Amino acid sequence: MTWTCDQIEARLSEYVEGQLTAPEASEFELHVKGCPECAPLVASVKSLVREMRSMEQVEAPPRLVYSILDQTLGPRERVTFWQAVGNFLRGLATPKFAYGAASVMATCFIVLSASGISFRKPKLADLHPATLYRNVDRQAHIAIAKSVKYVSDLRVVYEIQSRLRQEENQLQVTPEDHAPNAPTEKKPGQTDDQSHTQPKQQNRANELARQVEMLAAECPLMFERSFR
Amino acid sequence: MRRHTRRVYNVCYRFVGNRTEAEDISQEVFLRVYRTLASYRSAHGGFATWMTSVTRNLLIDHYRRTKRDRLTDSLDDAMPVVESKESSARRPDEQALLGELSGQVQSALTRLSPELREAVILRDLQQLEYAEIQQVLGVPEGTVKSRINRGRIELARILQHMGVRPS
Repeated sequence: MTWTCDQIEARLSEYVEGQLTAPEASEFELHVKGCPECAPLVASVKSLVREMRSMEQVEAPPRLVYSILDQTLGPRERVTFWQAVGNFLRGLATPKFAYGAASVMATCFIVLSASGISFRKPKLADLHPATLYRNVDRQAHIAIAKSVKYVSDLRVVYEIQSRLRQEENQLQVTPEDHAPNAPTEKKPGQTDDQSHTQPKQQNRANELARQVEMLAAECPLMFERSFR
Repeated sequence: MRRHTRRVYNVCYRFVGNRTEAEDISQEVFLRVYRTLASYRSAHGGFATWMTSVTRNLLIDHYRRTKRDRLTDSLDDAMPVVESKESSARRPDEQALLGELSGQVQSALTRLSPELREAVILRDLQQLEYAEIQQVLGVPEGTVKSRINRGRIELARILQHMGVRPS
């Protein structure tokens, strides 16, 4: 079916927006190709729609928003400079801001402490990069050395405790082993030599106790920490 | 707030072709919305669609109020002029900012009848869907499509008459 110019005009927008079916679109194009009036019209409308859709939004003047707000919510109060400063400071006095500020200050304090800056006698030279690096390096080494010493002290205490426990166990075991059994028949000339071991065990226990006391005297802090 | 302001201002500016009038009408739109917010019902469409509807109603009211000034438009149609009466209020720097072809399209838009103008603005400049335009204009979808089609054809003919060739 051959389309007329009126039909082309009536369905022009549908063609431009791709809403015609495939057979309808081909019939449409067939007419337009051979029509000297419809061809420029279709080209103009296609170009016009493309142009309008690419046109940018016009920016509203900034005063429009304030004017609308004044008309709807009422005019803003005129405040002096100091009132504005006071309003700003009051706005800062919120819990959220206080927590944030406290966190920031704590972080700064920790960072400055780690960088070795003295709070009692601050010097500008402390902020020199070389000084900062040296201080941070020194602090890091001190922290590592302290932790290493603490761990090794704990290891020594653990070894002493385990040794003491072993000795205690042995002391407990040996009296049981040498507890008076059912009196066995003593053969003539046979002596009960088990009593000879008791003094030796006791001597070893006393010696260990003396060593522990000596260590405790030398390292009081170590024992405090371990026995807490 | 700024997003709605921008959209309302664009619809007003494209319709009236004049910044000062567009500002005044935009303020009226927000004032009307502020006063009649209680009458908004979400069942009638989104808030943006409702605001566009209020904008359109005020634009039509403005058009009818200033109809006397447009009596000379029928004379202008017979003469190949580049700018319409409304766009003559645009400053030269505004023209440069808009771009030559965009300025000519804007000028031609103000020559369309209000029914066709609003349909073309909502579809091609605000890129609303047919269903939204139907809600804004309060007419059936078939009428919306017919107005958009006739508006585009009429606009193309006005531009051709103005000596503007499509790119």
